[in-house]
Amino acid sequence: MKTTSGPDPRLLHGLETLSLKGGFHWTEDRTGNRFYWFRLDASEGLTRAAELLAAFEARMCTVTAYDPAREHGRTRHEIAYHFACAGTMVTVTVPLFEGTRSVPSITPHFRNADWNEREFMELYGINVVGHPNPRRLFLDETLDRGIMNRVIPVSVLMSGASSTDLWERILGGRGAEAETPGAGETEERA
Amino acid sequence: MSSLDNPTSTLPIGPVHVALEEPMYFRLDVEGETVRGVELTAGHVHRGMEALALRRTLFQNIVLTERVCSLCSNSHPFTYCMAVENLAGIPVPERALYLRVMAEEIKRVSSHLFNLAVLAHIIGFKSLFMHVMEVREIMQDVKETLYGNRMDLAANCIGGVKYDMDAELTRFLLSSLDRVEGAVRKIAKIYGSDVMILRRTRGVGLFGREDARGLAVVGPVARGSGLPLDVRREAPYAAYPRLSFEVVTEQDGDVHSRAMVRMREMEVSIDILRQCARDLPAGPLSVLLPEIPAGEALARSEAPRGELVYYLRTDGTETPNRLKWRVPSYMNWDALGVMMKDCKVSDIPLIVNSIDPCISCTER
Repeated sequence: MKTTSGPDPRLLHGLETLSLKGGFHWTEDRTGNRFYWFRLDASEGLTRAAELLAAFEARMCTVTAYDPAREHGRTRHEIAYHFACAGTMVTVTVPLFEGTRSVPSITPHFRNADWNEREFMELYGINVVGHPNPRRLFLDETLDRGIMNRVIPVSVLMSGASSTDLWERILGGRGAEAETPGAGETEERA
Repeated sequence: MSSLDNPTSTLPIGPVHVALEEPMYFRLDVEGETVRGVELTAGHVHRGMEALALRRTLFQNIVLTERVCSLCSNSHPFTYCMAVENLAGIPVPERALYLRVMAEEIKRVSSHLFNLAVLAHIIGFKSLFMHVMEVREIMQDVKETLYGNRMDLAANCIGGVKYDMDAELTRFLLSSLDRVEGAVRKIAKIYGSDVMILRRTRGVGLFGREDARGLAVVGPVARGSGLPLDVRREAPYAAYPRLSFEVVTEQDGDVHSRAMVRMREMEVSIDILRQCARDLPAGPLSVLLPEIPAGEALARSEAPRGELVYYLRTDGTETPNRLKWRVPSYMNWDALGVMMKDCKVSDIPLIVNSIDPCISCTER
């Protein structure tokens, strides 16, 4: 049903060379759209993979960092870089290990990697080497980096939470304000 | 602060501002009335939805993704369901594939009308704004009649759809499309010839083809700069491989080009809807669900604002190991740095509206 020819075989061969043994496979949806999956053995191969993908005019779609085992508190992450190329999707996955929790920035090859890299830096606490503007993207500086590595109860996550814990914190905060004489007045004067 | 040595001054806009539909902070370097630099600060409506998705089952996440944003509230659950179906190899019935396309195209017409109405509102063409919103009401009535809701259609489920069309609903849809089509043609003439609209939109917010390629923008922003990027054509899904349609492009890369892409796309969508109504096959609406295995999958669709990508990773349990989605607006924000360079301060709302930004989608 699908007529697109797919990525250049030289790109697929180049990415396969960079991959772990057995770290390449492809899948297809019911319409015949193809998805290529490559798994690198370490983050060192990422720059070479990005160079190759840029040379073959791939378009970077998004980047997903995740904890494959969902063992919060440990720092075993993987990052999947998703590209569109000649009507197919190419995903290059980079595993991170305890000692090397950083990846090189691919912004020299893909300008639009900027926001994606900043987002996984703040959500997962992963370092990106060579990012041109490594400031926060969405989350305020007062929140710790790597918020997705923590287990947070759903009731706290949801803005509509109305647990006892929430109200105790709100009322506790009010009490603290009331106990600070003249706090409100100082703000008003300022 | 400006001085003789440094003629630029800083102009803050937002995060809450009368010209913005949703909160975003722009720090502009301006020289007189001319913008010399733009810096964005996002995060004012970040809700941690991707973290919430990991605490809900695969089925509950349909309801969650329907609520990412109101204007794209069909594209999200639709693409999410496709990701689950790709992962588990679920065959969606043919009738459901057509019904999914119909829900998408109805939303596209409605969404584009809203954006074009806001353009008229920003220019100060109030009568046109009200007229376009009035035409949009026809599509809102279609949604309410077919789905029971004006924004959140709740049309999709994993393995199919949750709604059906009978002869009476099809007649109502087709007669509504006739009314909208006539009105859209008249509106297109106004947007294409009115002196006030042309003066405010032509040559404003310029974004060239090479910049569009370099920043990898999507949707009408890319197509308004001459890039024929449309997932419906590039990687067809649902019933799109069986439908005939044109990928609309404009070449000038300005606010007017992006508006005219949306204008012409509405006519394409109406044509697609008529093809679906004509060819809608009989059959079941959904299939029984198999067990969702451990694995990973991607799915893409063409939402009103452009390419929407869902990545799903499962570990054999009923909750996902990771669910990530990248919305079209996420790719298009950076383009504002190019579009606003050397523009006039008064053109900023028009340029921002021309990328049809969705902040609820972007920040999740």
